[in-house]
Amino acid sequence: MFRKVISGLLSVSMLTVLLTGCAANTGNTNSTDDTGVTTEPDTTVVVDDTVDQPAPPEEETEAGPSGTVKVAVVEGAYGIDLWNAVIEGFNGVYPDVQVELILDKYVEDIVGPAMKAGDFPDAIHVATGRPLALTESFIKDQAMVDLTDLMAMTVPGESVTVGEKIIPGFLDSNATNPYPDGKTYMTPTFFDPCGLFYNAALFEEKGWTVPTTWDEMWALGDLAQEEGIYLFAYPTAGYFDAVFYGLLYEAGGPDFFKSATNYAEGIWDTPEAQSVFDIVAKLATYTEPSVPANANQENFLKNQQLLLDNKVLFSPNGTWLPGEMADAPRAEGFEYGFTALPAITAGGDRYSFAWFEQAWIPAGAENPDLAKIWFAYLYSDAAADIFAQFDATVAIPGAGERLSGEKQLFYSIYDDGAKVALGNFAATTPVEGVNPNTVWFDPVNSLVSGDKTAETWIADVKAASDQLRAALIVE
Amino acid sequence: MNKRKGRGRFIFFCLAPALILYTIFMIYPTVKVFEMSLYKWTGFVGEKTFVGINNFIILLEDDYFLRSLQNSILLIVVVTVFTISLSLTFAGILTREKIKGQSIFRIIFYIPNILSIVVISAIFSAIYDPANGLLNSFLALFKPGDAEPVYWLGDQKIVIYSIIIAMIWQAVGYYMVMYMASMSAVPVSLYECADLEGASHIKQFFSITLPLIWTNIRTTLTFFIISTINLSFMIVKAMTDGGPDGSTEVFLSYMYKQAYTNSSYGYGMAIGVVVFAFSFALSGIVNGVTKRENLEY
Repeated sequence: MFRKVISGLLSVSMLTVLLTGCAANTGNTNSTDDTGVTTEPDTTVVVDDTVDQPAPPEEETEAGPSGTVKVAVVEGAYGIDLWNAVIEGFNGVYPDVQVELILDKYVEDIVGPAMKAGDFPDAIHVATGRPLALTESFIKDQAMVDLTDLMAMTVPGESVTVGEKIIPGFLDSNATNPYPDGKTYMTPTFFDPCGLFYNAALFEEKGWTVPTTWDEMWALGDLAQEEGIYLFAYPTAGYFDAVFYGLLYEAGGPDFFKSATNYAEGIWDTPEAQSVFDIVAKLATYTEPSVPANANQENFLKNQQLLLDNKVLFSPNGTWLPGEMADAPRAEGFEYGFTALPAITAGGDRYSFAWFEQAWIPAGAENPDLAKIWFAYLYSDAAADIFAQFDATVAIPGAGERLSGEKQLFYSIYDDGAKVALGNFAATTPVEGVNPNTVWFDPVNSLVSGDKTAETWIADVKAASDQLRAALIVE
Repeated sequence: MNKRKGRGRFIFFCLAPALILYTIFMIYPTVKVFEMSLYKWTGFVGEKTFVGINNFIILLEDDYFLRSLQNSILLIVVVTVFTISLSLTFAGILTREKIKGQSIFRIIFYIPNILSIVVISAIFSAIYDPANGLLNSFLALFKPGDAEPVYWLGDQKIVIYSIIIAMIWQAVGYYMVMYMASMSAVPVSLYECADLEGASHIKQFFSITLPLIWTNIRTTLTFFIISTINLSFMIVKAMTDGGPDGSTEVFLSYMYKQAYTNSSYGYGMAIGVVVFAFSFALSGIVNGVTKRENLEY
């Protein structure tokens, strides 16, 4: 009898363990709490009468918005301290709104499964171009909340609207307005100019001038080659997006860029497109030959190191490069220089691609209105000051000026005559087997190693363009 | 009668947890993979559209998939052939020959197996480094100073073999230990008898050792197929991410990129179905071809 009881108890305990293991994570046990922060609301209510608030959430009282906004953020260059400071500032304005922060380097792995189970964050700070393509998937699914009313909201504590505060032009590309309806579904947050980095001290030592046209670039490349220095090294082929987009703008202006990124019929046969292909193909011949071997997530820093070691003259990157290479050894006297892409013709426009992180609200969010309030606060001067303390910049005018030293120099690139290149490939429904990055940019590795000719690359681009055109989201 | 009933209940409750786990985590997902392969879906919130076998039709014309298929088959064949040869040789030497420091060798050969794939990838990335890597530094001893280095991870003609070398290095110790275990069970009297008959050690290896551990070798062949498919994904992901320009893409890395990076979850699952069918069929064929009469001792 005793053995029976023991056996029964053992069986029950095994089943209990199993069922416990399968139970859903709720409350304080979820991963949110490992990385996230929940701030307690203050008792003092501060309401700015000028703030044009969206429809109040259910929990809202007359005193102001209240409730919990769940914010999912990629832990990129900026860590938890920045977000704690921003949340503190936000709660100074909206004391009754609790911010539940989900911060992780791979935040998609946390919120992705939760969203499949119907548990959506209210605000998601995840840019396009990441390996798990969370943002792209939501664009393709047309599952984002329209942010048009966010743009009409007044920035907390100020008299301008969010739309007026954001740098002009930043809300005009498909990086924020992915569909033909022209509405804004993603708002630009952190912003970094992309261009060509070089060692200013080396240029001064050699008496070289920074090229302003691609012809000057090739001439400099030949000159440097005689001294054993290659012209160019890219971290990974994916970094060619900023170069390619900038070149499209240079070759044919904003309308041409729009046509090209919307896969217009015959666009890749135009002389403008051909000039872009020619420059990329020629740049490949001037690239340091070991670059493709290290052009992956594991070893890309070795390609960036080539610049610091004076083994190459230029490297395309964003303004996060000095931070990434802060502890890396470098040539004596190394001094960062930063320039826009050279012009295709003398006196022609020069462009620098503006990379920015998008933030958006999934259609399934419980508190989209609180998320909009959260976004609106990020564009306030108070928030910009907090961001600047951590060397971060949001897309508002003068944000770069708040930064110190070297970083300020990088953000002045547009003051020196360079134009802003914005946008990326237009949204399509998924096309199985065809990924624009794989077709447009990855082959640069093959062009450098000689495994693919420019003609083959262009033919692949045209074929993929035809497939993607057929899948464009048109309404 | 009552006792038998109680016993049955006890067995049922003991097996239930494992059965439930197996059903939830093995059978259900596998069925789901087959089901999802018939849909077009981004994998998050959008609608699932039934497309029948369309995903499989696209696969047949997808050059990137065909290249990943080629790479996977090359890896399975070459890694299996070299690993099995090396591990059998080392196992034979360590079991049958009297050499100094046998235990040390056994540990050294096994060490790669306890390292994580990420560590192995980092080790080999350092070995293959074009400028300061072990391999190129060694080769530079025999080449003039200005000779072009070998781009082990950059030259698309050799990069897949660089992956193969890393995989063989990682796998040899594991299979060697498995073969040693079965070789130790072969009665010493057989070898003594062969010695008296004048058979060389190589002859003994092929005529006694191999036939008597054949069952074990057959089992490991199935392991080779499954583990090469899985490990190649991890090594490729950590070392080259399928590059340069897709030249080291394998089954699972391509499946991952399609399912997630390209938001084509259904298509990714179709690749999963092909991988499942491929490994199942290959294991079946290998099992059939290697079937021999069981030798007992």
